[in-house]
Amino acid sequence: MMLLENIRSALEALAGNRLRSLLTLMGVMIGVFAVTTTISLGAIATAGITSQLQDFGNQALFITPNEDNPRSTNFTDADIDALARLPVSILRQRNVRGLARAGSEEAPLTVNGVTANAPQVDRTIKLARGRYFTAEEDRRAAPVMVLSADAKEALFPDDPNPVGQEVSVTVGSSRSFYTVIGVKEALTGAFTFAASVAVDVPLQTLYLNHPSLTRGEYPFLPVTVSLERDIGDIEAQVEAILTRRRGADTFRVQTIQGALTLFDTITTILQAVLGGIGAISLLVGGIGILNIMLVSVTERTREIGLRKALGAKKGVILQQFLIEAVVLTLVGGLVGLAAAIGVLYLAVALVPFLDTVVLSPFTVLLGLFVSVATGVVFGVWPANRAANLSPIEALRYE
Amino acid sequence: MTTPGSGGAPSSEGASSGDGTPSVNGAPTVDGDPSADGGPVIEARGLHKVYTMEGGLEVRALRGLDLAVERGEFIAIMGPSGSGKSTLLQILGCLDAPTSGSYKLAGLEVARMSEDALAEVRNRRIGFIFQAFNLLPRATALRNVALPLMYRGVRPHERIERAAAALERIGLGDRLEHRSNELSGGQRQRVAIARALVTEPDILLADEPTGNLDSRTGEEILTLFDAIHREGRTVLMVTHEADVAQHTERIVHIRDGVVESNERVVKAPAPAPTP
Repeated sequence: MMLLENIRSALEALAGNRLRSLLTLMGVMIGVFAVTTTISLGAIATAGITSQLQDFGNQALFITPNEDNPRSTNFTDADIDALARLPVSILRQRNVRGLARAGSEEAPLTVNGVTANAPQVDRTIKLARGRYFTAEEDRRAAPVMVLSADAKEALFPDDPNPVGQEVSVTVGSSRSFYTVIGVKEALTGAFTFAASVAVDVPLQTLYLNHPSLTRGEYPFLPVTVSLERDIGDIEAQVEAILTRRRGADTFRVQTIQGALTLFDTITTILQAVLGGIGAISLLVGGIGILNIMLVSVTERTREIGLRKALGAKKGVILQQFLIEAVVLTLVGGLVGLAAAIGVLYLAVALVPFLDTVVLSPFTVLLGLFVSVATGVVFGVWPANRAANLSPIEALRYE
Repeated sequence: MTTPGSGGAPSSEGASSGDGTPSVNGAPTVDGDPSADGGPVIEARGLHKVYTMEGGLEVRALRGLDLAVERGEFIAIMGPSGSGKSTLLQILGCLDAPTSGSYKLAGLEVARMSEDALAEVRNRRIGFIFQAFNLLPRATALRNVALPLMYRGVRPHERIERAAAALERIGLGDRLEHRSNELSGGQRQRVAIARALVTEPDILLADEPTGNLDSRTGEEILTLFDAIHREGRTVLMVTHEADVAQHTERIVHIRDGVVESNERVVKAPAPAPTP
């Protein structure tokens, strides 16, 4: 009950100096905000990436020529055949840029010519409407087309289901016609092989409509590794096979893991920077608390003397001022926590690959703990000073 | 050194609490009090107090002072500045310990007690009334009065009840929820008196209680002290005003750290109007 009374008088003392209290708790607020945001953003990003990887299948390789090496050339069917002995699926893909028209709408877009196994290789491909084309349609170069979600928005903004509609694509002076057979779901992923405003057509159809494309050459190879295989082993074998066939330094193999490592590094750096800011502002905030509490003890020397004269023991006075410091930092911590939660929701709303707000009880408790600990650490000296004031000196003080 | 008349206290008339005046408080009984028998409530012998200044200079504020106060006495302590009366009040109030000597408060030797033990003695046995009232400005009258009860560990509900009763008694029943900075000087001192009385202490120590009040309000406060005294309470008041001291029964004159003389106050018939 002394505790409750002490909390009450702490709140009154802080309310009595509202502006001063507000300015003082700012440091702790920023510190807790930074610490909480840091931890949570890391967790949210990791969760987002993990779910992306599940969509994508974390068993993907992306092989490109080494652009720094002038001897590096496009990949050939022979390269693909050699790699196909590994337990992998490889997508043969070419693309052109063109202007698409559907009714009165038109949009510049990328036309991907791919084989019918594309949905197996690129697991981000999911169909919202219709179907993907078949190997048979690829073989006979059928004029069919699958729209990306963005392409559908660009070409058929008002049509909920454009399956069966016709789209023309103009590349240079040649113009070709396609029938829409499917629409992909919107990509949520950070990792995708595809441009966002794009259409997929059978590779043979692309060759047919654009005779200038050299057949059997591929500027990049998306590769999916069977789930039960170790991607590191496969990566090593891919490198061995391509090095033997094409020579060293003529290609690059990228993995999601590689991208993830990079992402991890960025996250870690970000966390270190924010964490550092958090630690520094907690330190500065704590010194602010220390300062203001010392001022408060001096200002209230008479009050302390009176309380002692009325029978307050050292421990009670210590508790009173400690509680005051902790209330100050705890309020700062709560405001910082609230601000952090707000920012996290904002981040999730604005950044596409962050899915859900991850706010573990641990993070919240840590934030609260840090604020309480700051109050205790920086409040104990002033509180002790108050507790050790002699009642006579304190009463005499003007 | 003069030995003051420690036996000269008018114990016969002062200790009569139950008769005559109806007492709202009841007699000042203290739980587990070893001296509830009727020995002197204050018994100080050979009190010395030496302050060491920063330069190493020693100031001897009390030089073997003896003082005895019987229950129910109303005493004024007077003396020129530097006489040691403030030091005496601090020691009697257990705010400070004597350098040497013995001080028994209600039969309890307090001269060598630890700081926390002294805090408890102050809480249970002493009611302070200060010149500057020393209320918590942001707290209501009720909470100010309840404060010493909190330090005693009384439950909140009971604290409030007792504090309210103490304020009613002092005539501030309609000011319970006023903050002390919303009260007049006289009202503040009344709140302070209620705070001193609420713990039912053995002695009331008042340090120039009318010093910050105009003479009319001061007179009202002194009348209140008279009433408190008539209820059987022991009151020690430090003052430098002779007419204030005339309200008491005995004036203890302090000079150079010892009791110079004890003066019985001969009351003029009906010196103050009864409230």
